[in-house]
Amino acid sequence: MSPAVVSARSLSKWYGQVIGLNDVTLDIPSGVVGLLGPNGAGKSTFMKLVTGQLKPSQGSVEVFGRPIWGDPRAYARMGYCPDQDAFYERMTGLEWVTALTRLYGMDDAAAGQAATRALDTVGLSEVASRKIGAYSKGMRQRVKLAQAIANDPDLLLLDEPLAGMDPPNRRRTIGLIKTWARMGKTVVVSSHILQEIEMMTSTILLINNGRILAEGDVHQIRDLIDEHPHKVSITASDTRRVARSLVEDPHVLSLNFDGNRLVVETDQPDTFYTRLTALAAQGEVGTIDEVTSPDDNLQAVFEYLVKQ
Amino acid sequence: MPIHDQTYRHYDGPRVPLGSAWGVIAEAGLRALVRKKGFLLVMFFAWIPFVVQAVRLYLWANVPQMEMFAPSPQMFRQFFEQQGFFVLVVTIYAGAGLIARDRRAHALQLYLSKPLTRTEYVAGKLAILIVLLLMVTWVPAIGLLALQVAFAGELSFVRENLFLLPAMTVFGFVYALLASFTMLALSSLSTSTRFVAVLYSGVLLFTQAIATVLEAVMGHSSWSWLSFRANLAQVGDVVFRLAPRYDTPWAVSLFVVIGIVLVSVWVLARQVRGVEVVT
Amino acid sequence: MTEARAPQPSPRPPDDTVGLRGDSRPKFLASSIRVLELTLGEMLWSRRTVFMLLVVGGPVLIACLLRLLASLDLTPFGGDGGGSQPRVTGPAIFGLMVWGFYLRFTVPVLGVFYGTSLIANEVEDKTITYLFTRPVSRGAVLVGKYLGYLVCTSVVVLPSVTVVYFVIVPVLGGGVGENFPTFVTDLGLLVLGLAVYGALFAFVGAWFKHPLLTGLIFVFGWEPATMLIPGYMKSFTVSYYLQGLVPHAMPQEGAMSLIRSLVQAFQTPTSVWSNLAWLVVIWLSALVMAVWAVEHREYVLEQ
Repeated sequence: MSPAVVSARSLSKWYGQVIGLNDVTLDIPSGVVGLLGPNGAGKSTFMKLVTGQLKPSQGSVEVFGRPIWGDPRAYARMGYCPDQDAFYERMTGLEWVTALTRLYGMDDAAAGQAATRALDTVGLSEVASRKIGAYSKGMRQRVKLAQAIANDPDLLLLDEPLAGMDPPNRRRTIGLIKTWARMGKTVVVSSHILQEIEMMTSTILLINNGRILAEGDVHQIRDLIDEHPHKVSITASDTRRVARSLVEDPHVLSLNFDGNRLVVETDQPDTFYTRLTALAAQGEVGTIDEVTSPDDNLQAVFEYLVKQ
Repeated sequence: MPIHDQTYRHYDGPRVPLGSAWGVIAEAGLRALVRKKGFLLVMFFAWIPFVVQAVRLYLWANVPQMEMFAPSPQMFRQFFEQQGFFVLVVTIYAGAGLIARDRRAHALQLYLSKPLTRTEYVAGKLAILIVLLLMVTWVPAIGLLALQVAFAGELSFVRENLFLLPAMTVFGFVYALLASFTMLALSSLSTSTRFVAVLYSGVLLFTQAIATVLEAVMGHSSWSWLSFRANLAQVGDVVFRLAPRYDTPWAVSLFVVIGIVLVSVWVLARQVRGVEVVT
Repeated sequence: MTEARAPQPSPRPPDDTVGLRGDSRPKFLASSIRVLELTLGEMLWSRRTVFMLLVVGGPVLIACLLRLLASLDLTPFGGDGGGSQPRVTGPAIFGLMVWGFYLRFTVPVLGVFYGTSLIANEVEDKTITYLFTRPVSRGAVLVGKYLGYLVCTSVVVLPSVTVVYFVIVPVLGGGVGENFPTFVTDLGLLVLGLAVYGALFAFVGAWFKHPLLTGLIFVFGWEPATMLIPGYMKSFTVSYYLQGLVPHAMPQEGAMSLIRSLVQAFQTPTSVWSNLAWLVVIWLSALVMAVWAVEHREYVLEQ
């Protein structure tokens, strides 16, 4: 097993009364690791702790075997693509990436070459001499990636790298991430969209409310989600007719009437939604006004895991 | 049923008439400021001169040897001067981000997409600053006058200086309006609160420095109209029926004050928009 | 749309995987110079420079106005030159402007405004992330930004002083050549003032929560107040040592006598070298403390 590139031990971070990260212990090996969680889960806080921008309130985080806070040496092998949209707008893409690359100790020529290569990699070579202020949202996201990869780092930390990208660029960036992993780099990608992470890697860290809910293979976690019964709340003009149509389905585990709503428990949510859509289209059960899922899937998995 | 489960509903309650939304903005802004400990500390320090003057009045009223602390119109005029530092601090602290922060967060579009006119928006923001500035100038000045009457036990000072109450009110409002409009106009020009604070204090200090140097070189103070502060001081002297301290005619100073307010209004009219058109 | 190419790894030195790649990062000063080069363009071509230009443009306008009045023989500079009150000459006016405007206002104000926001601007713009996630120490980033401040302010202030010198000194018979050594001293003094105030407020910006207000209170509250208090309190200011280095002889009589007495009130009986030494001490210690503060402080970006 390859040694951990990033290690966290009882890592916690709080801002006054607000807990950003709560007692996280993990090791990130080489390869692509997806950091998955909803907004406000603690993904960016974790990224900032790993990149040494924040100091742990408790516990420790090490990168390449050394504590990262206050030690800039590890940055020589690290590239970070932050989530915020912030640049020196007056500089061209090439100037900006070159200037940042020079801070790795390269001379002008080497930094220029590295920057050109990085911009070429992310598909910005044609607009490299345009000012960043004139870039589109997708270009801005890609130039951020370029500055992160220009020094050929061993560890890449990408915070929501696909945000604002159109589908072709998303595909391209996902391809790049997989390529970097094949080259032996460690890539940590954070996102709140499971399908995006699934396309990049099968190894994920599931985080919510500052805690790691699950880590491991995404298929195993998905199976856990699917095994956990889902609750679906249906508001309809005739909930009893809807219930009569659903009661014989084998994937319906229970039916409950709550006022003018029908709450259905199912262990196969995909199949159930397909069945419900067909029922609504046929019109045999009256009108279906509203369909909601009171379960937060991630929270449901957490509760499920806690009960195990 | 728990609120969480009730989902979205239309509001069926009473509605206030259109045109009063500025009060909501003002109230929200004041509440946000009052929650900050730093701001409360500033206001605490701003009232210390009031306490000092109140002690002076008490000593004058109760200790025969303290005649030198007798109240006079100059005393009230000087009180406004002393509060100048706190006016600067409060204006910068509370006013620099009033519109700059909204611009930075692209919130102007949100505000102006509601049944809220630009005038109401600006009026609400202005009201925040005006209230705060009156709280450090006019309110303590009125308080001092009331204390003078209370300590003296009679109204002779007020009767002999009937102009004093309207003078304090007029000057207090002129001071607050000038500072508020200027700060708000500068705040509308930038998305950076810090830069606005720099601009505002720069305007004040720079114009003061220019006027001081010219006064030293020329040997007279006819150039005081260049100074933001000097114009206000000149108007204040006239309002309090004191001899103007500068050689500049007071009408010129008043004209400059009015001109600054009008320019600020023009800047606000141009800058406060829901959409930014970049050509 | 440009097709992205598959990334090609650049040649790398041997790697010990768990440890760090050979320490190829630039040294402290080299890092600072690189940060300076990165941010100099942003600082020079920003709105803030426009503000600086307006501030230093004021005395140039005044100088041109006075020169115009003098050329039209409308000089109101105290007295008529022929009676008991001598006129104020160009060199004296220049000295007054250096002391009264540049040293008492421009230099400390630029120090406050730009020194306090060296790191704060980057934090506000959220570009600090890029600088703090490079293999350069945070202190080097601060020093690089400080050097950028010094370059920008010097580039703006010194030409202004030069223009004022050549415009105003010849008024009423002043000699540009004979006053040149004093002028050069003034330039050095202004750069020194920018350096010391900048370092001091770099520390204030790195340490305090409301650095701009703190700086303004120091410059326009503490420094003038301590000058009025007899005793050693004035030695806890920068202006005390700077004013002591002002080389100008002021006119003895007439309209300038008040100004002269004020200047003398600020001037110290200590030697030039002593004042210089204290200024260097303040400069170095402020910079070191600023570096320390930046290295140990967390910067939480606004979400």
